[in-house]
Amino acid sequence: MKPSNTQSYWNPYYAGFLLGLVLLSVFVVMGRGLGASGAFSTAVATSVNAVAPEHAAGNGFYAHYLGDGETSPLKDWLVFEVLGVMVGGFLSAALASRLKLSVERGPRIAVRARLLLALTGGALMGIGSKLALGCTSGQGLSGGALLNVGSWAFMLCVFAGAYALAWFLRRQWI
Amino acid sequence: MNAPFYKFGAFGDEVSLIVAFVIGIAFGFVLERAGFGSARKLAAQFYFRDMSVFKVMFTAIVTAMVGLYFLGRVGFIDLSLIYLTPTYLIPQIVGGLILGVGFVVGGYCPGTSVVSAGTGRIDGMVYLAGVVVGLIGYAEIYPLIADWTHSTALGQITLPGFFGLPHGLVVAGVIVMAVVGFVAAELAERRFGGVAPVKGSLVDRPWRMTPVRGLMVGLFVLGLIALFAGNPYQGSHAVLDTKQLAMMVGGKQDHVTVDDLADRIIRGENSFLILDLRDGDSYQRYHIPTAMNLPLAQWESGLIPRNETILLYSDGGIHAAQAWFLMKAQGYPSVYLLHGGLDAWIDEILYPSRSAEMTPEAANAFARRVEVSRFFGGSPRTGSEGTQGEPRELAPPVMPDMGEAPAIAPKRKRREGC
Repeated sequence: MKPSNTQSYWNPYYAGFLLGLVLLSVFVVMGRGLGASGAFSTAVATSVNAVAPEHAAGNGFYAHYLGDGETSPLKDWLVFEVLGVMVGGFLSAALASRLKLSVERGPRIAVRARLLLALTGGALMGIGSKLALGCTSGQGLSGGALLNVGSWAFMLCVFAGAYALAWFLRRQWI
Repeated sequence: MNAPFYKFGAFGDEVSLIVAFVIGIAFGFVLERAGFGSARKLAAQFYFRDMSVFKVMFTAIVTAMVGLYFLGRVGFIDLSLIYLTPTYLIPQIVGGLILGVGFVVGGYCPGTSVVSAGTGRIDGMVYLAGVVVGLIGYAEIYPLIADWTHSTALGQITLPGFFGLPHGLVVAGVIVMAVVGFVAAELAERRFGGVAPVKGSLVDRPWRMTPVRGLMVGLFVLGLIALFAGNPYQGSHAVLDTKQLAMMVGGKQDHVTVDDLADRIIRGENSFLILDLRDGDSYQRYHIPTAMNLPLAQWESGLIPRNETILLYSDGGIHAAQAWFLMKAQGYPSVYLLHGGLDAWIDEILYPSRSAEMTPEAANAFARRVEVSRFFGGSPRTGSEGTQGEPRELAPPVMPDMGEAPAIAPKRKRREGC
């Protein structure tokens, strides 16, 4: 049963329209789109660099996200944007009384199995987003609005990949 | 034309980080309100039970696309300055498939997992840990697949460019596809999820005007206009404010003195992209350290990045001044002239002359000039060498080791995007 003070979610079309305005404003102000996965790459590269700097310097992927070495790689646009996403999500949930420690899962799956799948899904996402040069935010939303060829090919494949595997994972969700 | 504001130098990198944080808050807030902090709601998309992911995503894409189209068309924003991720078709298709599988397995995409973790969902936090594991794994295999990830490169290309279709036609087509998709999504929800359409949504009866339908009709009408409105990539037709330009010239805000430039180079604080406008032979013989060669004859608009601070010079000042106006007319925000050109550089920096009678201050200043001159490999002319102004042979300057001249490219190459 829902607590009575919990607000329901917005109508998806209104949420989408507002999200579109946020996206439009970032294009107008910054000349770039929204993103997410790039911030994780920067954070991972920075951590590896702190632990094993030689290893990081010798790897093209890490070196790429470490930048020129003059300024801290964490002083990065996407890193600050993703911090904002977390704060914004927290604020919204707090205002709607939706903050709660929980594990999201369907009725037919155990907590441990769900968490194992979450870990696996995250890992696949990390790999996929690097191959695609972006995730659903950077390639999907931003590239989609710019009518980028690669973004539209990417989006079709995201839905194709998810629908193709959905049947095998139905016990996790429904 | 003054947008994108950042690319036209309205604010610097520090402020852009604040902008990033504020935009991020708005992004996270909307994602949470849409219900995208919940893995079950997101995953329901793939069982046709709750098509919110599709509806939110495509309403956002269409809204931003239409906004960009019209803002570009009226000349408010220079669309060519917006970063477009280059297309590598096969790696992106494979990446998309893997990401789609990761979506239905894990229940989130990277952005939504941040919202989920931030709102207390443990599965969202574990998912984020998974992303880190995946990235480290990817980094370790990256050296083996680096070449492949850059295969099937199509460059920075949009659908209208790829298919050779008018931009407005593609915009209109995407709108129609989206609206048809929304109707199909609502019908699917009713069939597979057993949920009645939300009141006032597209397929809910009776057929009266509701806000959601109004939004769709509005987008549809804009798409219809786009069909006939032409290309939003206007290039940069910045309106020349002649009065402002005249004031800049009159107030000497348009140029940098040779002393100032020499100081900056010596201190290693030269932030200018210095362009030598003379021909290649002259450039080969001598150029100001760190300058790169761009003969006026090879001038092409679009070759020079707009977000750089540019310093132009030629022998005297005339070619540089002409190029300055040319660039101002093309809307370059920060362009400067080297006052007096290379002639002044040679006379005052490389081979400064000592006049016969000098005040103590002037003598001090000259001592400083001697140092500067030596730094740049010149040799100061002292009064004993002969009468002033007499033409004479000067020792060729020795170039200080400043490393390679910078290529015309952004300073830091980092992948933008997601």
